[in-house]
Amino acid sequence: MDILLIGGLLLVIMMVLLAGGVWIAMTLAICGWVGQAFFTSTSPGNNLFSSFWESNASWELAALPLFIWMGEILFRTRLSEDMFEGLRPWLNRVPGRLMHTTILGCGIFGSVSGSSAATCATIAKVALPQLLKRGYNEQLAIGSLATAGTLGILIPPSITMVVYAVAADASIIRIFLAGFLPGFLLMALFSGYIMWWSLRHPDLVPPADPPTSFMEKIRLSGNLLPCAALIIFVVWVLIAGYATATECAAYGVLGALGLAAWSRSLTWANFCEALMGTTRTSCMIMFILAGAAFLTKTMAFTGIPRELAEWVNAMQLSPLALIAVLTVVYLILGTALDGISMIVLTSAVVLPMIQKAGFDLIWFGIFIVLLVEIAEVTPPVGFNLFVLQNMTGKDSNTIAKAAIPFFGCLVVCIILITVFPQIVTVVPDLVMGKAR
Amino acid sequence: MRRFLDRLYLASAALGATFILLIMLLMVGQSVAREFGVRTGAINDIVAWFCAAASFFAMAHAFKHGDFVRVTLLLDSLPARPRRVLEITSLTLASVAVAYLAYWANRFTYDSWVFEEKAQGLLPIPIWIPQASFALGSILLLVAVLDELVIVLRGHKPSYVTAVEERHAHGDFSSDI
Repeated sequence: MDILLIGGLLLVIMMVLLAGGVWIAMTLAICGWVGQAFFTSTSPGNNLFSSFWESNASWELAALPLFIWMGEILFRTRLSEDMFEGLRPWLNRVPGRLMHTTILGCGIFGSVSGSSAATCATIAKVALPQLLKRGYNEQLAIGSLATAGTLGILIPPSITMVVYAVAADASIIRIFLAGFLPGFLLMALFSGYIMWWSLRHPDLVPPADPPTSFMEKIRLSGNLLPCAALIIFVVWVLIAGYATATECAAYGVLGALGLAAWSRSLTWANFCEALMGTTRTSCMIMFILAGAAFLTKTMAFTGIPRELAEWVNAMQLSPLALIAVLTVVYLILGTALDGISMIVLTSAVVLPMIQKAGFDLIWFGIFIVLLVEIAEVTPPVGFNLFVLQNMTGKDSNTIAKAAIPFFGCLVVCIILITVFPQIVTVVPDLVMGKAR
Repeated sequence: MRRFLDRLYLASAALGATFILLIMLLMVGQSVAREFGVRTGAINDIVAWFCAAASFFAMAHAFKHGDFVRVTLLLDSLPARPRRVLEITSLTLASVAVAYLAYWANRFTYDSWVFEEKAQGLLPIPIWIPQASFALGSILLLVAVLDELVIVLRGHKPSYVTAVEERHAHGDFSSDI
């Protein structure tokens, strides 16, 4: 049978199983099994064991539970309350005033947490009631929170990036470093939009809080110190090359525990809850990675990705056209799948194509993370919409509508990094030397 | 029986959690030991095995708890009866797939034991010891999937659905990425 036809058949089986609600990891493994059992002469059972074992018994992957744990601990502290209080006094003279706490808060929390939903929930829990109490525009606040929450997966550490790095066999540290500049760029775009909106609607921006003295400002911002110390520590460890990504994650956990103890929110119950939550989440991700590893083996045996890459190559698409097509594909996938599944599902097929077209894998990682961010705020299953729907009681279409301008900022960011790929590559190249 | 099974899943997941705690301690210990010039290469192997054990031991609990992701777009839009049919189909497929996985995990681990295979790397212990986490974890996952199948066949709502609903009703999104 024609190889591409086999690929098409597997794709159909996968879509039917996914749509029917079969768990994603199992769907991947079942497709892998069908491919191997019917179209290759290998023994699927042996391969199943070795892909599950090798993908899970991986020293590099050990960073994953640790980074998840770090976020889980901080999620259960008073960090976000402190952050709001610490940021508040500095924003009085900026157009848009306290509205920027949503962006800055998500940016800061994103640099200690690797999850978009957790970042969104944590910051929204504190900022939303405070902003509404002061009379800020609700629609702008909700839209900005929904979208800025996705900074959690763009600003390192990021669980999505660890998964991509494992799937693409790229360096975790390198892709973390690549996330910084696009993260700042995106924050600037979000804040820029808030300023522009506030200048256009001065009547909708409530008056400033009473001014605080400089010493008072410093005192209030003292609350930010522990968090800043943790961020600087983790970033410094990464950049100075003192530790591997896994060790860095282990110290991050220690730091997060210290921070929780310092703010007196480290109870035995909290500790256990965080650790159990971590165990479940990382187990879920590793199960998907294992299923995907098995499917990847099938792909390698059948040669589907190579054939597909040739086929795409033969179409003589320009690199930009290829990126445009992939963007559309990921946007469609994003309406039904979560980010992690999207990445592992496509990596076996898309990455060879991307490499053949001459793209940098690190750059593509950031590109894909940005697309996952878009997926988080697009209906019907954008997860951040769901988080805010739960917190505000508004329906998800209203929230999605509020997020449209910020969605535009994400699109601008994607265009910018595509036109100027240096935004992504300059930091890792500077710190770790140019990639081969 | 119900209480026993639930405790078993939880105990196994707690064991997995302990492995994550140990990974953290080992990684910190390794970086400190390296500063003192101690050779610690074997720790990397142990960490890799612990990482696998943490995940395999937690599978059953994570499944029951609704952490395993699936596409619920179609399921959520269906009325109760067809939804139940689809749930049963999914669970049946999952049972077969996981039974196959458990069979091979155990067969392979058993072979490693019979042939006294040693781990490749810096720590040549019998490889069946770390592999046992896969063998045991996959059996427990099979039990959990069958358990759910029975629950749904008896006409109840699957626990992985109720668990997620409860969690989100509390505003707990820490387990979502």
